[in-house]
Amino acid sequence: MVGLIAIGAGAGLASGLLGVGGGTVMVPLLVAFLGFSQHRAHATSLAAIVPIAAVAGGVFALEGVAEYDTALLLAAGALVGAPLGARAMARLGERSLEAAFGAFLVAVGLAMVFG
Amino acid sequence: MTLLLLAAGIVVGAFSALLGVGGATLMVPFMTLALDYGQHASEGTALLVVVPTAVAGVIAHRRRGYVDFKGAALLASSGVVGAVAGARLALEVSGESLKLGFGIFLMGVGLRMFVHGLRRDGGRRETA
Repeated sequence: MVGLIAIGAGAGLASGLLGVGGGTVMVPLLVAFLGFSQHRAHATSLAAIVPIAAVAGGVFALEGVAEYDTALLLAAGALVGAPLGARAMARLGERSLEAAFGAFLVAVGLAMVFG
Repeated sequence: MTLLLLAAGIVVGAFSALLGVGGATLMVPFMTLALDYGQHASEGTALLVVVPTAVAGVIAHRRRGYVDFKGAALLASSGVVGAVAGARLALEVSGESLKLGFGIFLMGVGLRMFVHGLRRDGGRRETA
């Protein structure tokens, strides 16, 4: 219980600061420290993300730094893409895909730092 | 523009479900690098998109019994407090340093995924 609250606080801070959902922080910590299975960690962190992102997004929105039209269109696309991705996960080599995606993120990170 | 955003949303949603990363990890760099939005606006917008996307994910996972709602409530109870603190802090910090921090965060996450993916793919497939 203390572990969950500590992980939640860290994820919330990262979420508000960096504009991410917090799942990238929560999933590995739930698996490493609280013994969650990968599936359970992923699903549970998604449920926690809903209020966390809503609150963090609300703070940005209240300050007028959010593009609503863009958010609407991206969300519409994401709702189509999510089931496709979930289905594809069953077929593809999940781990090699993860490695490739990780390499992609490192490249994007480099572009953001040095771009 | 509309079509570009819809297409980007589909890609983000698919990758999010496929890899278990919040879509924002992809959306923020897409908005800053491709759409030339400021870091603050990109973060605020991405967070708004994350909410419905995560709801859809929870509904899908719930059917398979993977969601631990009690655990999620505990995570969220302290998470929302951290979220307000983080967001206030983000608004105080300049877009440039925020972008730098986000880039370093992405490299960390990316490196972890890269190593994790390589290590596990050789042998057995993970089961629930």
